[in-house]
Amino acid sequence: MAEVVLKGIRKSFGAVDVIKGIDLTIRDGEFCVFVGPSGCGKSTLLRIIAGLETATGGTLHIDGREVSKAEPSERGITMVFQSYALYPHLTVRQNIGFGLSLAKVPKDEIARIVTATAATLQLEKLLDRKPKELSGGQRQRVAIGRSIVRNPKVFLFDEPLSNLDASLRSQMRIEITELHAKLATTMIYVTHDQVEAMTMADKIVVLNGGTIEQVGSPMELYNAPATPFVAGFIGSPKMNLYEGKLAQEMGCQTYGIRPEHVLLGAEGRWQGRVKHVEHLGADAIVHLDVEGLGSLVARTTGDTGLRPGGDVWASPQPGKEFRY
Amino acid sequence: MQRSPYPYWFVLPAAVVFVTLFLVPTVASLWFSLTRWDLYTASFIGLDNFRQFFSEQNLTLGLGNTVIYAVLTSATKTVCGLLLAVLLTSGIWGQSFLRTVVFFPVLVSTIGVGITFTVLMHPTKGLFNVGLAAIGLHGPGWLTDASLALYSVALVDLWKGVGLATLIYIAGLAAISPDYYEAARIDGATRVQQFWRVTVPLVQPATVTVITLSLIGGLRSFDLIWAMTKGGPGFSSDVLASVIYKQYQAGFYGLSTAGNVILFALIATIILPLTWWFNRKEVDL
Amino acid sequence: MTRRQYWTGIIATVLALVIFVVPFVFIAFTAVKDKAQASHLDFTWPLQFLFWQNLVDVVSTRNYMLLLAYFNSSIITVGAVAMLILFGAMVGYVLQRRQSRWNKVIFGCVLAGLIIPPAVVPTIWVMQGLGLFKTIWGMVFIQVAYGLAFSVLLYRSFIATIPRDLDEAARIDGARPLQIFLRVILPLLKPVTVTLIVVQSIAIFNDFTNPLYYLPGKENVTVQLTLFNFQSQFSTQFNLLFMNILLVTIPPLIVFIFFNRQIVAGMTAGAVKG
Repeated sequence: MAEVVLKGIRKSFGAVDVIKGIDLTIRDGEFCVFVGPSGCGKSTLLRIIAGLETATGGTLHIDGREVSKAEPSERGITMVFQSYALYPHLTVRQNIGFGLSLAKVPKDEIARIVTATAATLQLEKLLDRKPKELSGGQRQRVAIGRSIVRNPKVFLFDEPLSNLDASLRSQMRIEITELHAKLATTMIYVTHDQVEAMTMADKIVVLNGGTIEQVGSPMELYNAPATPFVAGFIGSPKMNLYEGKLAQEMGCQTYGIRPEHVLLGAEGRWQGRVKHVEHLGADAIVHLDVEGLGSLVARTTGDTGLRPGGDVWASPQPGKEFRY
Repeated sequence: MQRSPYPYWFVLPAAVVFVTLFLVPTVASLWFSLTRWDLYTASFIGLDNFRQFFSEQNLTLGLGNTVIYAVLTSATKTVCGLLLAVLLTSGIWGQSFLRTVVFFPVLVSTIGVGITFTVLMHPTKGLFNVGLAAIGLHGPGWLTDASLALYSVALVDLWKGVGLATLIYIAGLAAISPDYYEAARIDGATRVQQFWRVTVPLVQPATVTVITLSLIGGLRSFDLIWAMTKGGPGFSSDVLASVIYKQYQAGFYGLSTAGNVILFALIATIILPLTWWFNRKEVDL
Repeated sequence: MTRRQYWTGIIATVLALVIFVVPFVFIAFTAVKDKAQASHLDFTWPLQFLFWQNLVDVVSTRNYMLLLAYFNSSIITVGAVAMLILFGAMVGYVLQRRQSRWNKVIFGCVLAGLIIPPAVVPTIWVMQGLGLFKTIWGMVFIQVAYGLAFSVLLYRSFIATIPRDLDEAARIDGARPLQIFLRVILPLLKPVTVTLIVVQSIAIFNDFTNPLYYLPGKENVTVQLTLFNFQSQFSTQFNLLFMNILLVTIPPLIVFIFFNRQIVAGMTAGAVKG
């Protein structure tokens, strides 16, 4: 149970500034997701919170205590790695109990805690196996089990689902969300996948080039992206964005409209030609070539009769346009 | 303050042993080679030890022999090692047995090998000459003929060491993708052309390793020569390492150390340019 | 297998038997002959098989010197290999994991250790100063100093394949540096460690030059030196000399039979990567 407060956190590797001054408060019990393209500094920021990297400047408080210089094990955090980082030479039982045995917890006490943890994660039957005998999802659960026994104030996840296949990924998304609901512990979760961010987060932090672009709930970010970057990053398919002369004609630097807010019909603001139609079943994604605008993507119902080469008119849904 | 999880004191035990028993003597040798020295007092005599080394014929002979021995053993191990490796990866009958047999001498005591071959090379009773006599040839005095002794020892060195070269080449050959050979065959290359145009250039990293290792080993070699000829007959098969030992036994510690410095310099002047040249060639590839 | 591969193999095997196996058969034959037949130095079938008698004679020579030699060689080998494993792994670990300007210094030392011939007399001088000359422990440390470079190189390249995540997970689990090393890294190094134990044991057991210089004295005799000493002693008793050679050859042979794979791995891994 803890609040995490970052003040002016900076990190540079030599002459390269990776994190350029981050102020952020993550409330007690919140599920906070750091999201951004690769190289945006999200993993570095997480590792600074974990204590695996030392910040070049700024302070970090966890649960009201200044921990900027503390050892990782003294911060009350735990971390689930992208590779899971299970100790290959130890059994599941020993992996989960490793931290406790380092802390010189009595053997029968370790056994009790490990058994209890394994039960909540349905790992009882796997306790005597080595990591290489487990499936990806099972490894993931062992990694989580190892974290739970530390009884941490804050859970850190570093892209934990990126090594799993698509169906397992959505199942683990639900499991982690349920775990959060059950433990009500502060969790910080790093991903490059905006779907994970949207589906799991209480609060999303969008990072770009070492700075925060925007902080907010998933729907705030969707409905009111503060910058063109956030607008382009959150939402799928990507928002249509136009810069330069086109945008100036519409009275702004950057003009944006989400594909789901483009209405197609027999008349409208822009005339375009259908280049390509992606049928997803319930929906269809229509790629248009619009004169004076370039390409435009629209989302429409799955039973659309549009064919490549056909002409169609497109209009933005009123009130859903973004001007920066 | 947060400390690194990889503290430098991990290096300390190794460093203490290495520095006291290797680096300190190496650096000290530079000084002691310039002295007359009885282990307790050393008096500075400038370059006299080196002058003596290059003026006494038996000592200069050792220097020349060292180079001949090292180049000869290194070259033969490289050529034979490559040919054996090609043979032992071509899927012939008894391949794994042959690999074992060729490699085993590497692991055997050098002194044991030396004594055995000294007996086998006995001018009248030894198996070498008895065998040659059986086919009507008169065998030489392998180790008793001053002009031959060094080469006889080098031959035994080849026998004992070729297994390691072969092993390294086998590993090197395994790293060459069979695609190259298939492509070469489609282009119409014969076996011999495949060997020269594909195998030899692509196995170059292994060649570098074999040449470097066997040259260093050859320049430093002592025990085989000592077990077989003790540098004899006369001084005809002396090399730097045996000269160093003889001067040490005779109590000429300064002179012995000067021999060490010369050996070090010799190795450096041969190995360093060679490594530089190999590295440059590798960039070209 | 084609006809060509079959016949090449047959010819190669015959040649290998003559070139590589005959000397060993010669050792074995001569070792079991009686004194008179052995002195002929010829490659003939033994008239008498005196294996046991020759063995007892060799072992009991000079007041059971060979047993003492085996004892000394074993202590030196075990002690030196244990230190080479532990120290080498620790250096290789820090060298691979921590990037700093010190790395170049350490790496330079490793290369120096591989190339530079040891300066013999100055080493004796240092050892005398430390009271290590003519002592078994002195010999152990010498073997450690000379073998470290190879151990470090081998460990460093293997540690590069162990993900750093494991160290970090252990740190988060509350492990201190030594605990990370001993409880997480060292167990994972087992394959190289086995290789190194085998390769270094053989090298140290077979070493002749270093005990010759640094470990003189009858009570300090090592296996290879007995052989050298007996060469003059047994100038008329070749059967006993070759029995001794046979005894010295057996330990590497046993190791080779059991650890063939590790030896091959060690010799080539260390070499090809350079």
